[in-house]
Amino acid sequence: MISILLQQEPIDAARVQAEAGTAADGAVVSFIGRVRDNSRGKTVTHIEYEAYTEMARKQLRKIVDEAVARWSLNSCCVVHRFGPVMVGEASIIIAASAPHRGAAFQAVQYIIDTIKADVPIWKKEFYSDGSSWINGKE
Amino acid sequence: MKIKVKAFASVREAVGFEEKELTVSEGITVKDIVHQLKKSHPPLDKFNGSLLFAINEEYCREAAELSDEDTLAIFPPVSGG
Repeated sequence: MISILLQQEPIDAARVQAEAGTAADGAVVSFIGRVRDNSRGKTVTHIEYEAYTEMARKQLRKIVDEAVARWSLNSCCVVHRFGPVMVGEASIIIAASAPHRGAAFQAVQYIIDTIKADVPIWKKEFYSDGSSWINGKE
Repeated sequence: MKIKVKAFASVREAVGFEEKELTVSEGITVKDIVHQLKKSHPPLDKFNGSLLFAINEEYCREAAELSDEDTLAIFPPVSGG
């Protein structure tokens, strides 16, 4: 099962993890990306994510389809926030399941790295004294 | 022909619009449109060669030609995740 979600609401990580995997899977690997309270020496209050939603959905689907085929995943779920995300909150969760852990670990690493490079979503960091768009990978 | 131009994130702020309809001539390329936009919106200049483009939600190169009713998106390097 594949599921791709772009949403403004907070991510229910426990639910995504609980719903991941099938009876044939010995491994569920999940990655949660969170908003840090600091960036380049500044105090971060929150991040605003902007997405080109139609294209982002297509790109996410492409990346997940590739990962499912390459590592024979039985399930894969990606949820990405847009709008304001506060410090400590999850901006993204990826949960992949496979019969064995090696495939699931590699797939999740591939998916997050490729999302950061290819999916049209941008973050604007807000500090105690201003804000700044982040262009490109950190 | 008519096309739609969408701008995102720091590019949206530089050009001051989210979406705009343009009437352009046949055979126009992404590069031509960016050139025009830079003239009318000088803050775009700071992006130099880093701009990314998509036609109808698929990445494309600067040399790509537009067709009637296409949607061209212009944006900075992505930073999601």
